[in-house]
Amino acid sequence: MIHVRGLTKHYADLRRGTLIALGGIDFDVSPGQIFGLLGPNGAGKTTALRILSTVLRPTAGSVTVNGFDVATQPEEVRRRIGFMSANTAVYDRMTAREMVEYFGRLHGIPEERLAQRMANLFDRLQMNEFCDVLGAKMSSGMQQKVSVARAIVHDPPVLIFDEATAGLDVLAARALLRTVAELREHDKCVVFSTHIMREAEKLCDRVAILHRGHILAQGTLEELRDRHHERDLEELFFQLISHHDEAHAVVQGGSEK
Amino acid sequence: MSWSNVRLILAREIRDQLRDRRTMFMIVVLPILLYPLLGMAFFQIAQFMRETATQVLVIGAKSLPKEPPLVENGRFAERLFSAPEKALLLELTFAPDEPRPDRPSDATGGVESRREAEAQVQAGEYEAALYIPPDFGDRVETFREALKQRAQRSAQGPSTPDLDLRSPLEVPKPEIIYTTATEKSELTSARLGDVLRRWTEEVRKANLAAAEVPQRAAERLEVVTTDVAQQTGAAGAARWSKVLPVLLLLWAMTGAFYPAVDLCAGEKERGTLETLLSSPARRSEIVLGKLATIMLFSILTAVLNVASILIMGRVVLGQLPGFGMIPAGGVLWLAVALLPASALFSALCLALAAFARSTKEGQYYLMPLLLVTLPLAVLPATSGMELNLGNSLIPVTGLVLLLRTALEGSAWEALEYLVPVTLVTLGGCLLAIRWAIDQFNSESVLFREGERLDLGLWMRHLVQDRKPTPTVAGAVFCGTVILMAHFFTGLAMPKWNDFGGFARGMLVGQVAVIATPALLMTIMLTTSPRKTLLLRWPAWPTLLAAVLLAVVAHPVVDAIRRMVLSLYPVNPQMEKWLEELGLQRIVAESPLWQVLLVFAALPAVCEELAFRGFILSGFRQSGHKWRPIVYSAFFFGFIHGILQQSLVACLVGVAIGFLAVQSGSILPAMVFHAVHNGLTVVSTRASGQIVEDWPPLGWFVRAGTDGALEFAWPVVALATCLMLAILFWFQRLPYGRTPDQRRQERIAKGLQWNG
Repeated sequence: MIHVRGLTKHYADLRRGTLIALGGIDFDVSPGQIFGLLGPNGAGKTTALRILSTVLRPTAGSVTVNGFDVATQPEEVRRRIGFMSANTAVYDRMTAREMVEYFGRLHGIPEERLAQRMANLFDRLQMNEFCDVLGAKMSSGMQQKVSVARAIVHDPPVLIFDEATAGLDVLAARALLRTVAELREHDKCVVFSTHIMREAEKLCDRVAILHRGHILAQGTLEELRDRHHERDLEELFFQLISHHDEAHAVVQGGSEK
Repeated sequence: MSWSNVRLILAREIRDQLRDRRTMFMIVVLPILLYPLLGMAFFQIAQFMRETATQVLVIGAKSLPKEPPLVENGRFAERLFSAPEKALLLELTFAPDEPRPDRPSDATGGVESRREAEAQVQAGEYEAALYIPPDFGDRVETFREALKQRAQRSAQGPSTPDLDLRSPLEVPKPEIIYTTATEKSELTSARLGDVLRRWTEEVRKANLAAAEVPQRAAERLEVVTTDVAQQTGAAGAARWSKVLPVLLLLWAMTGAFYPAVDLCAGEKERGTLETLLSSPARRSEIVLGKLATIMLFSILTAVLNVASILIMGRVVLGQLPGFGMIPAGGVLWLAVALLPASALFSALCLALAAFARSTKEGQYYLMPLLLVTLPLAVLPATSGMELNLGNSLIPVTGLVLLLRTALEGSAWEALEYLVPVTLVTLGGCLLAIRWAIDQFNSESVLFREGERLDLGLWMRHLVQDRKPTPTVAGAVFCGTVILMAHFFTGLAMPKWNDFGGFARGMLVGQVAVIATPALLMTIMLTTSPRKTLLLRWPAWPTLLAAVLLAVVAHPVVDAIRRMVLSLYPVNPQMEKWLEELGLQRIVAESPLWQVLLVFAALPAVCEELAFRGFILSGFRQSGHKWRPIVYSAFFFGFIHGILQQSLVACLVGVAIGFLAVQSGSILPAMVFHAVHNGLTVVSTRASGQIVEDWPPLGWFVRAGTDGALEFAWPVVALATCLMLAILFWFQRLPYGRTPDQRRQERIAKGLQWNG
């Protein structure tokens, strides 16, 4: 469903020169699977997911989503994905109903089907109480529910969640995680980025640990635990990152000499 | 392109704006309330407006003639004012060494007193001074006496000898000393002027009485004026025609600006732009949807403001003389012009707002936009510019002139230029839309992050992170440095009278001002001077083709030059200045090889190194082919100073840039430039005499009005065909794409799917 090969992204940065946000990463995600992209802040998670959602273009490498190339067929890709991140906010001056309807229409859903789909979603996400409230008046949890509804209104086969629980309270975050888990039941292909290990443990079938634009390890949680002889995911994550940083420091020191 | 998506985005944005109280206040409430409130405020403030008295120093009051009296009881005589109380507005102080006229003294007001008065006015002690020359009153009396005697003698008989009848109002005259440094002084000078005008009129009448000439004999002939517009109901159209087009355009721009900032920079700030970008809507659909919304609000703002002004005008200004109502046809013209004007401003505002990172940053761009637009809109409304083909081709200016002409009632004349004005406005609009779409396709614009302003870091980055060729910013910097240095050295250069001086000036201008900055920046800011300056030996045929192209392009460029001069004639002052410069004489009289060296070879090397070398290479980093050619040609055109010359140079610059890009070498560009300039020099030297000496030449050329040879139209047509053929040959050359261009083409290929 999602195939990422040698994905690279460079930025020009005045202070640091050419910044390698992604240094050639590979991963695959299948339908009915939740793939967790784990990494600290600045690891390259948002860049990778923005490329998957065609908002950014890759510098090199190939990414296909549901058989379509993100670089040459971005519009086809966007029709088949639902993208939600901390940067995809809701409109202040639109109600939940108007916003979900707007995106449903942009996806070309026929009116009747859209009405059914919205009614279904509003029930499922418990949004009926605030569906006529303006975005500016909603709580963070309500806004996140609207974002989820907006992202899945067209029933896409692929869903991309970037730090979706950031800024949510425990209850709202729990509700969101439950929704994402339900999507797996509907055979959706889900990419879920987070830096919270607990979420990954609860939700993900496979994970990739991303740091400084490189994938340090990937596989099922069990595979990673066995491979690195560490049962605690947070500890495992910390060890991998520490080792990588030490190696990086050695290489840097060597090159400076 | 999915129009249903455009409609959806448009509907959403309109709803969004209608729910924004700030936007609605700016667009709807403000115009409805602003003008009535302004009118009311004007009447209120008028009550508080009071004329204040100003101080006047009078020197030489004792030298005033006794009749008619100018000063009475320490003030100017009340009869010399339109209302007696206005006499209090000029408070007089008599110079210390000058006695009051009613207290005679021996002191004299001389040169020293006048100098002191000047110093006191400059120091601000007095707003103005009135200086009466020492024997002024005596001369008036003597003159009047002479007139009296002459009248008596002429009554006695015709054979009386002539008396000295030189007027006392000839030099030295009474003088008003004031300063334009303060408005109060200017006002005082105007008041004094009025008083003295009335007083001199009385002096004239007294003189006439002395000469026993009836007053009516010297009465001024009154001219009656009739405003025919009163009959047609279009009285005061000229005033409206100056005000309304400017107001319409300014409000169209303001109405576009605020929604544009909210819909682009505001959405970036609120995080909703990324939500929209991840939807199936294409970037072009998003741009068009937002553009249509901005246009709608721009039109609404302009309509409401102009309607409010017209209503206020009818109620308040309509009462004033010279401010009648504009005819209904004029209103129709305003409505028609509003559409393209709004489209142009909306697209410009959208592109600017898309660049802004936040609403706050977006607001900063209003001032530069106003600075560019205001002169284009206001100058034609205030100056004596007229609607002609040349002016109609200037963006915004053409539109204002068209509206002005139409509002003045010359609708047929305006219709004549409707097509060029519409084409230019829509052309500008399309370019601005293209720019806006580019902004929405640019990651560096959409996800721009705040950078700390650190000049040192930026300079270090320029030097340390050098690439084989310069950056776009480097190209702009180099072009700007050259333009500024060229401008200031041009001002500082002395005026030459001979070829030697002119050649030295050209050498400094070309080598020091144009070539040196480009070469220095090449060494400092790039790692490959060879790639930057296109220092590559081309295939011989390209050099030959460049020579041929320059030869066949000469009649075409000459025809374009003449067309530009007929569209935008050089103003008489500039013509006089050019004549005084004596360039044509120097070119004609100096040895040909020297003239060719200075005017053809030198610029060909220096200007090409700068414009097709460093600057073109820098712009090519943008990854496009034609844009760098056009941008470098703009800089090349600007360096030519005079507008008419710049326009032609810009077109020639595009052709030279094309040669450089297609051949991958600077040499064909230099060869073309040298041959082109050389032919221009030869053509300037060849006078009409050559046609007389060689009559068969008359089939091809004739002496133009400016003395230079002018080509017959069949020659120009044939040359155009040959020129296009050679350019086509260049187009077919396998040219090397830059890495940036290859990258841009990959992106464009990806975007084909994206519209």
